[in-house]
Amino acid sequence: MQINGVTIDDTFAEAFPMKATRLVITAHRLAWARHAAVAASGFATSVIACGCEAGIERELAAHETPDGRPGVALLLFSMSGKELAKQVERRVGQCVLTCPTTAVFAGLSDGEPIALGKNLRFFGDGWQIAKVIDGVRYWRVPVMDGEFVAQETTAVVKGVGGGNLLLLAHDTDAALGAAEAAVAAMRKVPNVILPFPGGVVRSGSKVGSKYAALPASTNDAFCPALTDLAARSELDDETRCVLEVVIDGLSEGDVAAAMRAGLQAVTARGRAAGVSRISAGNYGGKLGPFHFHLHRLVGVGDVA
Amino acid sequence: MTTWTLTLKHASALRLDLRAVVPAALASRTLAEIERLPLAHGNDTLPLAEVFGIARADGPEDTIVFDGDCGRCDRIGWQLAGGRIDVRGSAGDYVGAGMAGGEIRVRGHAGVLAGCEMLGGVLDVSGNVGDFAAGALPGSMDGMRGGTLLVRGTAGERLGDRMRRGSVLVFGDAGAFAGSRMVAGTIALGGTVGAHCGYGMRRGSIVCAGALPAPSPTFVPTHHAFGVFWQLLARDLARFGGPFAGLPARRAQRLAGDLAAGGHGELLLAA
Repeated sequence: MQINGVTIDDTFAEAFPMKATRLVITAHRLAWARHAAVAASGFATSVIACGCEAGIERELAAHETPDGRPGVALLLFSMSGKELAKQVERRVGQCVLTCPTTAVFAGLSDGEPIALGKNLRFFGDGWQIAKVIDGVRYWRVPVMDGEFVAQETTAVVKGVGGGNLLLLAHDTDAALGAAEAAVAAMRKVPNVILPFPGGVVRSGSKVGSKYAALPASTNDAFCPALTDLAARSELDDETRCVLEVVIDGLSEGDVAAAMRAGLQAVTARGRAAGVSRISAGNYGGKLGPFHFHLHRLVGVGDVA
Repeated sequence: MTTWTLTLKHASALRLDLRAVVPAALASRTLAEIERLPLAHGNDTLPLAEVFGIARADGPEDTIVFDGDCGRCDRIGWQLAGGRIDVRGSAGDYVGAGMAGGEIRVRGHAGVLAGCEMLGGVLDVSGNVGDFAAGALPGSMDGMRGGTLLVRGTAGERLGDRMRRGSVLVFGDAGAFAGSRMVAGTIALGGTVGAHCGYGMRRGSIVCAGALPAPSPTFVPTHHAFGVFWQLLARDLARFGGPFAGLPARRAQRLAGDLAAGGHGELLLAA
């Protein structure tokens, strides 16, 4: 099918179950909450080697946070609750505890609890104080700018990782423009993050490699350099640049909503903007239980 | 669900022990059995029907209503685990002692040891409470360990003695030694505060929203920013209204103490 001259492939994005949590980081000024959130979500593009995928979901006004200060909502996704707990502890310990004036709270209330301030409290060397307020336990750790307040635990829920769109364009400018427009639209959708730099990945991968040690390797079917060389190229000669937007969300519906927003943003620009096709990455439906069919997302048939 | 209304026929000559009269105990009994329920009365026992008129009605949850002045009735809601008790008058000593859940409302005053060793639930007293509210039973090491005690009048001495967890809010004045030997938890005071507030407290918070007490020399001011914690606590207390309603908009001074007992506790004096 085509929308404004842009071909939507009859294919689907294949996504996987992940474990997820949301953290709310507040600070005296929004800039410092942002600094902490950016640091805590650094080097968290892919679970292949980062341990988790993380990103800023949105900024929070003072009236939306537990302590009445401006803040940032952070989403973190990992393949297991145990790994997520490890990543939360490391990232909050090194990037939030260290950042001036910040405090950290659980952004989800229902779900299996994992440690947030529970272990970081030992940084207080015995001067830390616990406080239960309305059934929620907080830790107050003396630090050089006052005290670091952290909720004892955060909740882990089942999330969905790996929703994606592949944008096939005539050149680099067109691909970047479309990707930026898609990212801007998708970031307005709640409960999702786009974990790659700027929300966009150029090194889309397939499962496996000719090298036994590698779990993933370049997605040769979508590499313009291999159009006439790879055994199963998906590209034609007019496609010179492909970019991918990857989406992690707290639910299947959230990922679908983000993908739909991205599709609409790119197709609204029309084929004249340089994107000729939109496709999606999957593994034949054998690996992930969540299938996001592009035609259904743009209004033909059911979404899931 | 059943609402039992127990109307006091006459004030008992001696102290009456109502520990057996909780919603769960009545729910499993017939009216005849309830009428014969023995109540300790001095050294003797009396059947419940001799002291109270009993009426039964359907209600949204298991509830006992005590109608009349129960100032001589002790241990109302003793170890209550669930349901509601509404005392439409005053209650005697030990009201809500050891309660773990549910809600007790006392429309009048309560005697000594109200809410002592509470574990959970809500005890709401419209009038005054006597000494040792939210404290420990004689010989016990720990006082209140959870739940919420609301005193809309005044509290006697030794409020929250040895308290370990939970929240106590006194809208009026509190007597001497409020929060003495506290292990943890929160006490918020809306009126004047007696001498030796926080005496020997190890941890926990005492919030003074009314008149500021003269702190003991073993409490020292800490001059650090603790606005995050203050907002979390003040916002939680503000939902109870009264003298606490405006707390989030007020600044607070923090004094750490009692240094004679480790100094991990704090007095928070709202300006």
